[in-house]
Amino acid sequence: MIWIALLGPVIALLTHLSGGAIESALTAPGALGPLLVSVESGGLTLAVLLLVCTPLSWMLARGTLPFPQVWEAGVLASLLLPPLVIGLLLVFLVGPYTPVGELIGHLHLSATNTFLALVIAEVYESAPYYVLGAQAAFGGVDPRLEQQAGLLGDRPGRVFRRVTLPLAAPGLAMSLAIAWARAMGAFGAVVIIAYHPFGIPMQIFTTLQETGLPTALPFALVLLVVALPLPLAAYIWSARAGRRRRG
Amino acid sequence: MLDADVEVDRRDFRVHAAVSVAAGERLALFGPSGAGKTTILEAIAGLVPLRRGRVTLNGRVLTATQAPQTAIPPWQRRVGLLRQDPGLFPHLSVRANLGYAPTADRGAKLTELAGLLGIGGLLAAMPARLSGGQAHRVALGRLLLADCDTLLLDEPYSGLDAALRRSLTDLVVRLVTERGLPAILVAHELPDAQAFADRLAVLDHGVMLQMGTPHEVVLHPISRRVAELVGYLGFVPVPGGDAVGRNSGQEGTVAGIHPDRVVAGAHPGRGMVLATTLAAHRPSGAGWAADLKIGETAVTCHLPDNPAQHDGELLVTALDPPRFGPDGTAQPANTDGTGIRGMECG
Repeated sequence: MIWIALLGPVIALLTHLSGGAIESALTAPGALGPLLVSVESGGLTLAVLLLVCTPLSWMLARGTLPFPQVWEAGVLASLLLPPLVIGLLLVFLVGPYTPVGELIGHLHLSATNTFLALVIAEVYESAPYYVLGAQAAFGGVDPRLEQQAGLLGDRPGRVFRRVTLPLAAPGLAMSLAIAWARAMGAFGAVVIIAYHPFGIPMQIFTTLQETGLPTALPFALVLLVVALPLPLAAYIWSARAGRRRRG
Repeated sequence: MLDADVEVDRRDFRVHAAVSVAAGERLALFGPSGAGKTTILEAIAGLVPLRRGRVTLNGRVLTATQAPQTAIPPWQRRVGLLRQDPGLFPHLSVRANLGYAPTADRGAKLTELAGLLGIGGLLAAMPARLSGGQAHRVALGRLLLADCDTLLLDEPYSGLDAALRRSLTDLVVRLVTERGLPAILVAHELPDAQAFADRLAVLDHGVMLQMGTPHEVVLHPISRRVAELVGYLGFVPVPGGDAVGRNSGQEGTVAGIHPDRVVAGAHPGRGMVLATTLAAHRPSGAGWAADLKIGETAVTCHLPDNPAQHDGELLVTALDPPRFGPDGTAQPANTDGTGIRGMECG
């Protein structure tokens, strides 16, 4: 029952959509632009998370940072901040009249109502989910296995590649998939600092305001279709990796 | 040849040990849990920083805290460490685990060693499918294929049953001897240490109390603390004089009673005769465990025959018991090389 209740919104979406409505919504001029924007910004967000947040997660898991509780509290704080508040605070951080904004301006870029702003908003909304998930994934790898690999002759980089990464990979994949879903659905921060260019969430919001629920629903389906496959694939892959290890 | 003189700071105390293990020799570090045994192995393996010390392996300086300072990283030490958890990589097959080391021969040598270890039929299996004994054989094979110059064994077989422990110990002893590797075993069970080692070092609270052959350490502990650690369960006062005019101990001298070194009856020529009261007895192994009272002292010993027939009063002889002065140090043996003989106590 709980399972059905949790899936209720998805079931409602599917029962209220007609083939004609989907076709007309998706074939309207410029309808696929937001999809492209969302996929591109989401992909870039994942790349940033992988490059920047993976080392942070590893250091948090291994406790190599000074004052680890402070670092963890920082990540938790960003998770607990409402997305709308994140958007407001980002204005003070990367807005055009801030030091960071001016720095970005020197590069002839802007972090307000641009593709860059969209990526920044998505990174802020999804990063804590990835960091905490990846920290748990790395934390699940027994440090003694890494020690053993070192004693067998592997340098630290090789240990990471041959032991740490493969063992943490299922958890990392799930964390990345969740971060992807959060990035694709990012709205609260986006509506404040990246109203333009439209990603799918903004497209849904404006369509809902301008033409009503029936025309917004097909975009909701598109959002699900784009956001969900990666988490599902990650889940299936993680389960298979677990079965393989159990022999 | 492995030489290690290490001093490591732990949160609660400082561990200091100096050991020298020749090629093919086997040393057991024996002591209670938390005595610092594992710390010594980790210091040799380069996994914990030394406060002071020097570790050399086959003439190669691995760690030196005095000039010229040296700290070879673990991956360049060629030190094999086997722990209680065999530490197999769960995402790799047995074959991949065996051949994990970058220098490992993954061809004929791997197959041959797997056959020798009795895991030849398991090469395609994943570690999760292995029994405890099989996993330990794989872990041992992995170290041997890595061409380690020494083997450090940290209570590797603690979780296994006695028969399996014995067969794995025999296997390690054979391989270590064949390959001429210096080996150190950490154990908190004396029989495990005795079964493995040429030499036994007793460690307590970070301090090495005594080192010698297992037989020597058990029969001639140099202090009451060592005696307690190697299994002397009771200490009875030695009277000021004895029946045959020797072995008189100074005030406060005690004799150590080891449960395995007690025989029923009075045999003054073999040790110290004790008049005891039988408090309880129960079957133990092929014989009997008897709880004896000697004055205020309670002693448990193993006897081959049921002691119940003695109707509460029981004369036993503690074979050549070591004796310890009031400061806990061992008292010298008799001039004829024996311990306390002929004395009656109780």
